[in-house]
Amino acid sequence: MAISVSHLSKYYQVYQKETGFLGSIKSLIVRKYKEVLAVDDVSFEIDTGELVGFIGPNGAGKTTTLKCLSGLLYPTRGKISVLGFTPYERKKEFLKQISFVMGQKNQLWWDLPALDTLYLNKEIYDIPDNKFHNIVEELSKLLEVKDLLKIQVKKLSLGQRMKCELIAALVHSPKVLFLDEPTIGLDVIMQKKLREFIREYNKSYQATIILTSHYMGDVEELCERVIVVNQGKIIFDGKLSALIKRYAPYKIITVTLEENIDPKRLDRSLEINSFIYPRLVLKVKNENVNDAASKILKNFKTRDLTIEDVNIEDVIRRVYE
Amino acid sequence: MNKYLLVAKNTWYETVTYRFNFVMWRIRVVFQMLTVYFLWLAIIPSNGNFLGYTKPLMLTYILGTSFISSITLASRSYGIGEEINNGNLSNFLIKPINYFLYWFAKDMGDKAMNILFSILELTILFLLLHPPIFIQTNILIIFLSLVSAMIALTLYFFFNILLGLIGFWSPEVWAPRFIFIILLNFFAGSLFPLDILPKSVFYFLQALPFTYILYFPLKIYLGQLSQIEIYTGFFISTIWVFILYWLVKIIWAKGLAVYTAYGR
Repeated sequence: MAISVSHLSKYYQVYQKETGFLGSIKSLIVRKYKEVLAVDDVSFEIDTGELVGFIGPNGAGKTTTLKCLSGLLYPTRGKISVLGFTPYERKKEFLKQISFVMGQKNQLWWDLPALDTLYLNKEIYDIPDNKFHNIVEELSKLLEVKDLLKIQVKKLSLGQRMKCELIAALVHSPKVLFLDEPTIGLDVIMQKKLREFIREYNKSYQATIILTSHYMGDVEELCERVIVVNQGKIIFDGKLSALIKRYAPYKIITVTLEENIDPKRLDRSLEINSFIYPRLVLKVKNENVNDAASKILKNFKTRDLTIEDVNIEDVIRRVYE
Repeated sequence: MNKYLLVAKNTWYETVTYRFNFVMWRIRVVFQMLTVYFLWLAIIPSNGNFLGYTKPLMLTYILGTSFISSITLASRSYGIGEEINNGNLSNFLIKPINYFLYWFAKDMGDKAMNILFSILELTILFLLLHPPIFIQTNILIIFLSLVSAMIALTLYFFFNILLGLIGFWSPEVWAPRFIFIILLNFFAGSLFPLDILPKSVFYFLQALPFTYILYFPLKIYLGQLSQIEIYTGFFISTIWVFILYWLVKIIWAKGLAVYTAYGR
């Protein structure tokens, strides 16, 4: 098992500071503290090679959990073991095997080509020449950034930079990878490429990956297993399909009508989501879908009818509520 | 290549990227030095001396401060405070790297550039102004002077870290730094040799670490210190190195506890 967390709690003692220099000095002497519970008695286990999505609204405790797992924060209570290490001790052997990509923090040297940062990381992580060149070669081919590595980082676009950030985070082929919002601010094409890359990396290196994201697309495409957190607590841990089944046991039927109808004529068991002629959107329980569809086709003149799973975002919203 | 050597090299390249900025900075340094230089040139009578300083000694002192400060000045590590504040410190905490050695290496990379320029500037000034300069010929004294410059460099570096570590508790890392710079300008003796101050003040200053950042290495070079004075100076400054190192260690540990408790 790669990661095991038992009864992890993390309180932040946030002190309220007055503004200004005098306020700072004052707050050195007298401080008002406020306790904020960020992670509340969380337990889970992750096997080697798993790719797990961590989802939840802003402030749910996702990033806090990742920071505890990577040793950036020490837990208020509970036990964490990552690759057999206690993260917050930040032992060298531990740090050499993990990586943490923070979508909003950069490790690349801004004024130099990304390659220079890669070389530095090579020394920091004691990577042998051969291995280093192979990995950089492979990663840059996967991400299609081969020529970009020699360009000053500040001249790259956000997406290009993010790709280079990923390479910098992966040159030491970490066994455990934490990705905090890796696709933030990227366009759809770039998002897709990054996702493909992450999946590829997960497979070929058998790396354990935890990923947080606001984009459900990331999670939907990448993660078989999701952990949903809200207000510091795990409210769901399991397969994505099970999550949908549990929280959204219905499907969406969209009908394009040939002629206008009176919605009151519809079967009572059908819940109308929206009706703007000619488009009628219905929410139907899984077990009634076939029945409902055939009834509609029989009773109304329709041009088109589609049956879809509910939007994952809707499911998640439902989970939070 | 060693990782810290590589950090120094990268910093060197970084400085080259901002050549204009860097040249402007050097121009400022040169003008500052020239102001003081011409002031003393005007004050000291040609053949006499002023407060025990002949013209060559004083002018060597002033030009020397420019060179020594290019060695001792920690010109990069002021970024520590900012980095703590914006949370970029996290990038280092998850890597097997020593944060202070990293910044020391960055300072060194920048320093190499500054020293190079300083030598260049002084050569040009020397050729243009033909200042009466005192040249030390005793190898031992030059060596001791360089050793004291290394101590000075360490002292300055620790000071800089300490000022940066304020970032753990307050986002305002600049106000204390400005006060420090003003104190340093005065007490380190970059404007005038400190021994022209009243004796009691001067003795007091000698107990503080500031004098060892500029004044002490220069006075050794000028050959104006007795053996005992040199040894006492080395002794006091070394003690300060240990005190500051110890302070850095304690405050870093405390700050890190805060950082890992609150996150950023």
